[in-house]
Amino acid sequence: MNEEEPSRGPRSDCSFAHASEAEFARILDFYQVEWKYEPITFPILWDLDGNVLESFAPDFYLPDLELFVELTTLQQRLVRKKNRKVRRLRELYPALRIKLFYARDFRALMLKYGRSALVSELSGTLGQVMPRQEADDPDAPGGLGGLDRSGATDDADPNAPGYNPDQTPGRERRSRAARRRAVRRAAAATVYAAAT
Amino acid sequence: MKVPPDLQADVAEVLLSEEQIAAKVAEIGRQISEDFAGRELTLVSVLKGSLPFMADLMRRITLPLRIDLMEVSSYGGTATESSGLVRILKDLSAPIDGRDVLIVEDIIDTGLTLNYLIRYLKGKNPRSITVCALLDKPARRLVEIPLDYVGFEIPDAFVVGYGLDFGEVYRNLRFVGVLRPEAYES
Repeated sequence: MNEEEPSRGPRSDCSFAHASEAEFARILDFYQVEWKYEPITFPILWDLDGNVLESFAPDFYLPDLELFVELTTLQQRLVRKKNRKVRRLRELYPALRIKLFYARDFRALMLKYGRSALVSELSGTLGQVMPRQEADDPDAPGGLGGLDRSGATDDADPNAPGYNPDQTPGRERRSRAARRRAVRRAAAATVYAAAT
Repeated sequence: MKVPPDLQADVAEVLLSEEQIAAKVAEIGRQISEDFAGRELTLVSVLKGSLPFMADLMRRITLPLRIDLMEVSSYGGTATESSGLVRILKDLSAPIDGRDVLIVEDIIDTGLTLNYLIRYLKGKNPRSITVCALLDKPARRLVEIPLDYVGFEIPDAFVVGYGLDFGEVYRNLRFVGVLRPEAYES
């Protein structure tokens, strides 16, 4: 696995892929819980030659609690994908503690904090990071504080060779094949980083 | 279980009746009385939700004890905006160094507030800190904190009553009920 330089809260300069992640980070900051954003990429699938085919970077790591948290406020198809990844992660790394935060959990959290009005804009498609060309459009939807609008995705690694944010549209617009390619690039970068 | 007619509109079902709560509070009170016999106990109630529980529990504990109240700002509240950090809105009124502190909470879900509170109180050098919660909602837990006394483990539903509110309403219900989604989605 590859451990990146930790991102430590509280602060507001971290770039998030989804509005719900930014809000979650603000909650952790508020309660002074230390967090790191996507600090570790875990390989979860290899080919017969040992090359990493698929990897998974949980959204948050809470070092004091030794807990990974993955937020899943997206559509059901992607939730199933994340469920599968988390299952696989637990099989491969049984000592690791990870909590999957579903849309309903996030909604309940917002309700608890009296921010239920924000749920719709922080969840699902509306909470996605917008592609750069749309982000520059003042009429485009989105635009929540603390978000990087450069098109960061779950799977693509900005440090991966050949990564170009201008060519990386929002997650919803990417084809499955493109996402698979991004995963492979990220995994390859992970292996490369680990080897060096 | 029948919901009183005046609350029928907002409460979908009574999760814990007044009688169930009273019996459980008595049971917890007995247990605490046994466990802390001969020690200097301070009950710390976290405003506002735990007030009814605190009031009932303290009268079920047969030991000499002190009580104190704390209030902690909640995320999303008006106090949030200025600093972005949790704040103690009301601190303890007496020192707790060397004393056994029992935190009395209405409900533990994420555990974030309790986690902060325990860290804060540890800085005041109590002899021990234990936690008593009337309701435990483990499905929402982020911070795993050992709960020494738990009244009821409840399902993942939005509950009100017996101190628990939604928008500062419903705290005075004598039971714990599940709020209808229409009541908080509107």
